[in-house]
Amino acid sequence: MTAASTIKTWYWVHKWTSLVCTIFLLIICLTGLPLVFHHEIEHWLDDAKPLSDVPAGTPPANLDKLVNSAKSMYPGEVIDYLFFDPDEPQVFVGMAKKPGDGQVSGHAVRMDGRTGDVLLDGPPYTEDKFSFMGIMLALHVDLFAGLPGELFLGFMGLLFCVAIVSGVVLYGPFMKKLEFGTVRATRSTRLKWLDLHNLLGIVTLVWAFVVGFTGVINELSTPLFRLWQSTELVRILEPYKGQSVPTELASAQLAADTAKKALPGNAVSFIAFPGNAFGSPHHYIAWMRGDTPLTSKLNTPVLVDGKTGELTTVAKMPWYLTALEVSRPLHFGDYAGLPLKIIWALLDLITIVVLVSGLYLWVARRRATEARINELVKRHQAAAAPQRTPA
Amino acid sequence: MSQSKKKGGRGFMFVWGAPIVLGVLSVFGLLAALLGTGAWHWASWITLTVLLVVILRYWVFPLKH
Repeated sequence: MTAASTIKTWYWVHKWTSLVCTIFLLIICLTGLPLVFHHEIEHWLDDAKPLSDVPAGTPPANLDKLVNSAKSMYPGEVIDYLFFDPDEPQVFVGMAKKPGDGQVSGHAVRMDGRTGDVLLDGPPYTEDKFSFMGIMLALHVDLFAGLPGELFLGFMGLLFCVAIVSGVVLYGPFMKKLEFGTVRATRSTRLKWLDLHNLLGIVTLVWAFVVGFTGVINELSTPLFRLWQSTELVRILEPYKGQSVPTELASAQLAADTAKKALPGNAVSFIAFPGNAFGSPHHYIAWMRGDTPLTSKLNTPVLVDGKTGELTTVAKMPWYLTALEVSRPLHFGDYAGLPLKIIWALLDLITIVVLVSGLYLWVARRRATEARINELVKRHQAAAAPQRTPA
Repeated sequence: MSQSKKKGGRGFMFVWGAPIVLGVLSVFGLLAALLGTGAWHWASWITLTVLLVVILRYWVFPLKH
């Protein structure tokens, strides 16, 4: 009796968490397909100049050269960040109309990291949002609604995780008498899809849960960074209280060198310039990546004084930012070459089948219930009819 | 576990054996590529491909009753 009511409760949880999130998860899975291959697709879609043909081992260009060349292209704008592509020797120079304005007026100039040649003068982010990949990304991440959209889809992801857990609980009683992998294909369409839903769901269980859960963490990236800024960063900025924001900045190359000296063996992945919305008003924040497979995904922030270019501190990474950084590769599937991306896409397609079959099973069940109710009503009417005619 | 064995005649592992093996393979596949390179990437590709093969096997060639 208790077992039956427990199953009923879990069924209720599975049904409602799934129903609420399914449509959004479908959008996320469909847009996720091109996003898995975003690197390849962007390469193919954009009309960037190819990387310069220079001998292997050519040292990187001085960063000040890149900064100055970007500034001469857009006089009056400020540099927001430098992003160093981990896969190719190219640097994205992020610019904005004024400090901290990256999300509004931001755009990036892509340069060859060795020669400083401009490869692509990218469109403003606000315009890029409506390119094909921009639309895919927005539908996947925030439905064009910014932070509220991120939190909403994050919550849908959480419901998806609950749906997976409750689905696993239901798998037990469903499969009690069935051999693993049974697909009763010949009896009814509903039974066949029930079995497929169970099979596909249980086989992709761990992958779907990991990708779902890391997706939720990724959706929390904005609040997590804000939390770091309002706790750790505030402590670091204590001595700068009352000082004006620097207008004359130390050289970017000097800042990068200082950071490299502070963490030997690490490479620079990102430099947030003073004033960057996710940075510090007084510092260059150089995010440094390690040289092992795992630590290459984990960045350590090194704060360099924006005026002097001297080391302020190597900040401690709080656990929640480490969790965020580990969540990125595990969500994107971009950490083991093209084969892993293809596997990611195929598992994504299977998740779509699980979602659609789940929806179908709910509709079919309702239809079966309704048909039964109609039948009962008809029987009832038939029984009642003879008595009514005399009147 | 032993109780369900007595009742249904079929044990815990009858239902959960295959899912546990596939879960362990998934965890290994996801982590191998994150923690290593070269051979570990191959290990990751192969273990995760097993999931796809299992699905294909039972979907395309349903078990005979």
